[in-house]
Amino acid sequence: MKAKASAEDFAEAAKRHLDDVHAFLVYLTGDRAVAEDLTAETFARALERWHRYDPSRGGARTWLCQVARSAALDHFRAEDRRRRREGRYAVAELRESAEPVFGEGLSPALERALAQLSAAEREVVALRIVLELDGEGAARVLGISTTACSTRLSRALAKLEKEVSAGVAA
Amino acid sequence: MSPLELVDGRFDKLATELRASRPAVPEGLRNRVEELARVEPEPRREWGFRLPPRRVAFALVALAIIGSFIAAGVTGLGGSKPNRDAVGGPVAGKTPVPESAQGLEKPAGVPYQRRLDKDSLVPQATRLQRYDATLRLRVKDVDALSNATKRAMNLTRGLGGYVASVEYSTRSGRRGGATLVLRVPIVNVQTALAELTSLGTILRQQTAILDVTRRAERESRQLDKLEAELAQIKAELAAGSVPTERRLQLERQAVADRLAVKTLKAKRARLVRSARLARIVLTLTTPTEQAAASPGRFDETLDDAGAVLAREGEILLYALVVLGPLLAIGGVAIAAGKAQRRRSDRRLLERT
Repeated sequence: MKAKASAEDFAEAAKRHLDDVHAFLVYLTGDRAVAEDLTAETFARALERWHRYDPSRGGARTWLCQVARSAALDHFRAEDRRRRREGRYAVAELRESAEPVFGEGLSPALERALAQLSAAEREVVALRIVLELDGEGAARVLGISTTACSTRLSRALAKLEKEVSAGVAA
Repeated sequence: MSPLELVDGRFDKLATELRASRPAVPEGLRNRVEELARVEPEPRREWGFRLPPRRVAFALVALAIIGSFIAAGVTGLGGSKPNRDAVGGPVAGKTPVPESAQGLEKPAGVPYQRRLDKDSLVPQATRLQRYDATLRLRVKDVDALSNATKRAMNLTRGLGGYVASVEYSTRSGRRGGATLVLRVPIVNVQTALAELTSLGTILRQQTAILDVTRRAERESRQLDKLEAELAQIKAELAAGSVPTERRLQLERQAVADRLAVKTLKAKRARLVRSARLARIVLTLTTPTEQAAASPGRFDETLDDAGAVLAREGEILLYALVVLGPLLAIGGVAIAAGKAQRRRSDRRLLERT
């Protein structure tokens, strides 16, 4: 029988998984400010939908990451529409920040290499490496098969390593 | 097991660095989320479209099945009537059936002649027809069984027919049965059936007519043709000026034709005889102890319920045939939409 997800459960899940959700969104968006907004948005959405969460179908962290990804995709779509609308007369915004984005203490080469990856590549790295989700959980968040998830991770890491090596050599 | 072990050992250093330098959550954000978490989450809705669709679907299917069984049961109980033919004492609230002088049952409130007019087929006097009738009657007891058997035999003889076979048996002096195969002139078959049905309560009645007029006509034509051919052969042989070889050939032909004529005549005679006499299989039974003790209402209910279920099955099958393609198209459209959405998301993430 499905256990009811109670208010206490939500508070506990929010407290326990806030860092993971935030880290995932930082990797996915590549922007601290946006990730911060989306993290708050994710937990607001999760609070609304908490009654839909079924613990028998996966952990709260996986479910929260799914909600976070959905929020991020909505944000990307809105940004994409905005850019297309404004693209005719506005130059693409260039983000230049001296502060590290993906984590404090990362080497500049790795920071730059992560920035070179696409959001699709960074999200799989975040889920499997940073959050240490298992293949099944990560695949569920991404909506793909475990095999596809492994392949995507392998390619992303290879590309990341290549970018790091190129950065160090430069 | 470390997730990296599933990928490649070369990336261990990279992974260690990434994990060690996770982005920290700003205090402001942590406070906002903690404040949010203190709010009571929206309670689970008991009704509405937010119920898990799979469970709702299962519940609906279960309800439909239960509903169909209830409908079948209600229809079965409502549709089945108490067995009017029950033997073994008067039924409460019903007029007892009077018995004839021979101790035979009278028809239970249903005029037999009317039933015959409605149910049985009437042979046509101008046609050659095979008439087969099967009649299953219930009599009150073993004495009635004996009387009815004798009366059926006498009746058949009285109508110019004969009894082809009789099987009569009783068990423990209380139960028994008889099966009679009667051949009755076809002109008297309606009278015979009317009289026979008055011997007991009708349990089953079946009649079948097969028109063999055309077949008899065809055989007659064949016979005429063969006889004409024989006459011609005879005339040719009688002429005397036939060569030996031709004579032998004609004689062989005459022998074959005579044999064919003989066979055909016998066949035709059998056909005419079978069309002249109707075949009536009369089965007489005494009520079983179980039937006497309890009328077959339960059986009727079961039969009716089964019929309702079968009808529901037909409707379901029909609905599946009609709606199946539409549902399949809808399913494919939904799946295609989801796939399209996933592709679009992936392109968007790759661009970002």
